[in-house]
Amino acid sequence: MFFKLTPTTGQPLYLQLMQQIRHATETGALQDGDQLPGIRTLAEELVVSPNTVAKAYSELEHDGLLELRQGSGAFVSVKRRTRSLADHVQLARRRLRDLIEQLRENGLLDEEIKRAFEAELLYPADIVRKR
Amino acid sequence: MTNTSAIRTHDLTKSYGRLTAVRGLNLSVAPKRITAFLGQNGAGKSTTIKMLLGMTRPTSGDGTVLGKRITDPAENRESRRKVAYVAEDKPLYGYMTVEQTILFASSFYSDWRPDEAIRLLSEYRLPPQRKVKSLSKGMRTKLALLLAFARRPELLILDEPSEGLDPVAIEHLLQTLVTRAAEGVAIFFSSHQISEVERVADHVCILEKGCLLVDASLDHLRQFYRRIELVFPFPPPEREFRITGVERIQTKGHQMSVFASSNAQDVVERAHNLNAVSVEVAPVGLRDIFLETVKEN
Amino acid sequence: MLWYKAWLETRSRFLTCLATLTIFCAVFVRHAQGLIGPGWTADYNRLLFVTQQFLVIMWILAVVLLGMGGIVREKAIGTSSLSLSLPVSRARLLAVRVGTGVLEAIALGVAPWTIIFLISFLAGVPILISQVVFYVALLLGGGLTYFAMAVLVSSLLEGEYTAPAVAFAVVLLTAIIFDAWLRPFNLWRMVTGDSYVDRHTYLLAGHFPWRGMLASMSGAAVMLLASIRVIQRRDF
Repeated sequence: MFFKLTPTTGQPLYLQLMQQIRHATETGALQDGDQLPGIRTLAEELVVSPNTVAKAYSELEHDGLLELRQGSGAFVSVKRRTRSLADHVQLARRRLRDLIEQLRENGLLDEEIKRAFEAELLYPADIVRKR
Repeated sequence: MTNTSAIRTHDLTKSYGRLTAVRGLNLSVAPKRITAFLGQNGAGKSTTIKMLLGMTRPTSGDGTVLGKRITDPAENRESRRKVAYVAEDKPLYGYMTVEQTILFASSFYSDWRPDEAIRLLSEYRLPPQRKVKSLSKGMRTKLALLLAFARRPELLILDEPSEGLDPVAIEHLLQTLVTRAAEGVAIFFSSHQISEVERVADHVCILEKGCLLVDASLDHLRQFYRRIELVFPFPPPEREFRITGVERIQTKGHQMSVFASSNAQDVVERAHNLNAVSVEVAPVGLRDIFLETVKEN
Repeated sequence: MLWYKAWLETRSRFLTCLATLTIFCAVFVRHAQGLIGPGWTADYNRLLFVTQQFLVIMWILAVVLLGMGGIVREKAIGTSSLSLSLPVSRARLLAVRVGTGVLEAIALGVAPWTIIFLISFLAGVPILISQVVFYVALLLGGGLTYFAMAVLVSSLLEGEYTAPAVAFAVVLLTAIIFDAWLRPFNLWRMVTGDSYVDRHTYLLAGHFPWRGMLASMSGAAVMLLASIRVIQRRDF
């Protein structure tokens, strides 16, 4: 698995890992039933604390994406038939196009729109929900 | 393994005459976690570690290492059986050869792993018959680390472990730390290499002038520390922004830079209420958190 | 393996001193033997007596040298963190160091006299074993006080060269003081046998000075105990 975590951004590493695992299931790099490396193995590979990997796995299990079997490891469990990434992205970009047009009409410059997006993305949906 | 702290101190203080090196320290290092100990030179890190290992006696306060009191020499000696310590200067006996050093160290600990020692000896490429005094600094560091890593202690205390190591060796070091943590060892290491800390640490303690200024998980720091850059149509009132979580405010003309350890949302809200022209929220890396924390103090 | 470490630390010092003392005594005795004329018995004993004088001086300097070291010195050279983080008590660290030093001191006292005994025997001038034992006992019983002093000094003073300098200065001072003021308690005279030698036969005579020995050993013990306390209370 090719995960790459960036410690310097404002995002906890376990969240980054969660997102990358999710992304992998969406693109099909990880399929239903695939086994993810053990906590220790992945931690050693990525050179991050095993607690980071443990937390990511645990949260994903809570979200239903992973199944942690005692002694065997972590298995991907894609319960619903999700649309392919291409579809998702196409839909998202259409929505974004409309939103950006609207913001431009309201007088915002492209730079301002970009920064606003970045600021919002620092508060991922999961954290907001938990608060 | 129990759930009690690997290290816990209670108002630990050490004074040398009028100079106070460590002030009322309440430290807690959990097992199975990698805790990083940051601080400027002279902040009291080494003094703290020496007190934990019974080398220096606290002026007041107390603490336990693996549940054993540090102020009782016999108990402290018991805890040292299960603690591996690599001091900043990587102390080794110059008159011993690499082999003699390993033989010597192994005789004191029941948690010694001979096969691990052999493996590390070849991995680090240390010449067994060479006298320690004729080893290069890098090799001395590796030997000092070998003495700790060929064991399975319950607690690993490392003071600037990567100093003097090349990048490949540093990578090996971090991997070893991660592996040990996965095996349940509590790791307490001090380092000036913020980038290394950011990669592997679970928890960060920042010490400055003997006081613990920050004691939080790295995830918490990443989630809540923010720098908010604001621009107003008028010179902004600083006192409006002195709310909980705000650590430092810098104003220059119509611009204001707010460094917050939490509550960035409230700062943004206030800025909007005061009709801020520009509001930018950015995450803060550990380096900046460290610099701002010791600066303001 | 603390004994092994103590041995490695003192090995070169010890072997150098051993060689020096033994060779000196052997050469001295062998050379002087040639100068002895008729009526040699008393003269030969006098020769041995003189040998002891030299041996005492060299031996005391040697054991003071062997008494150097310890964790206070290790602090100066930067290895104290290693020794102190071992799961052994500071008292044990000191005890092993002292034990090694005492064994080496005994060897340094016994070896030269053994050589002298053999040389005398081979030259056809055998000396009484009781005399040898007397000399060696005086040397060790009285002289180990100096070793204990060296251990105490090395436990008090930091600095690689300060401790030996002070220790040797103390040796010199005691020699002067004993000679000038403390005549009755003169350790030097006891150790060299000066107090017990018969001026005619130059044999050591009289009772073995048990009280003197006891006093001197007690002094040594007190200094060693003090060293332990000093080490235990110190902050590193």
